[in-house]
Amino acid sequence: MEFTALLLATTVTMLAAWFGSRALTLGLFGLTLAACVATYLHHATDVLKLSF
Amino acid sequence: MTRPLAITLNALALYAVAFVLLTAFAGQLLLGELPCPLCLLQRILFAMLAIGPMLNIRHGPRPSHYALSLLAAVVGAVVSGRQILLHILPGDPGYGSALLGYHYYTWAFIGFAVAIVAIAAVLLFDRQFEERTAPPPVSGFAVAAVWLVIVLAALNVISALLECGFGPCADNPVVYELLKR
Repeated sequence: MEFTALLLATTVTMLAAWFGSRALTLGLFGLTLAACVATYLHHATDVLKLSF
Repeated sequence: MTRPLAITLNALALYAVAFVLLTAFAGQLLLGELPCPLCLLQRILFAMLAIGPMLNIRHGPRPSHYALSLLAAVVGAVVSGRQILLHILPGDPGYGSALLGYHYYTWAFIGFAVAIVAIAAVLLFDRQFEERTAPPPVSGFAVAAVWLVIVLAALNVISALLECGFGPCADNPVVYELLKR
């Protein structure tokens, strides 16, 4: 679900880049990128199931 | 580099992003390989790479627009680099099938690295930033590139919703959650 939300946020940011103001786009971009980093860190701290 | 040339290069960058997103879709739809969570994150970051060129085309080239793409490329390289390291042990077959000898995440790392170098190279040319007049007229070539990427990003929203449903995405997805009977 979080990836659907991130993709939706990215699409909205693209529409803002094309139709909206620069300030709005920069804000949305910053929020989306921060959410991407948070999602990455959440997955990066998962325990790895290694089998050796 | 003149402003029109910079805008043409930005439109070409959008076509490159569209090519990457289309290739990922082709792997998903033709080979039936669903993207894993890290793969989805890399797709998102490729799509975010496109926002800088869109701003450059719409409002004219600015260093801050290139900076957005640079940030997305650096995060994308970190994510794809982690996925390479997850499969680096000898004997590990990797995730998904290989394309021309490399897995998708290895190609993604190469793509993000190329983007970082290309953005740095384009930033060397100051003349594109000197003409601060009204926003330049946008060619049909550039408008088509913008809409192609927006449509592909929207299709990815639908694809991710079908794949993951309303819960967390599976680590190793094999079915579309919302299409499961």
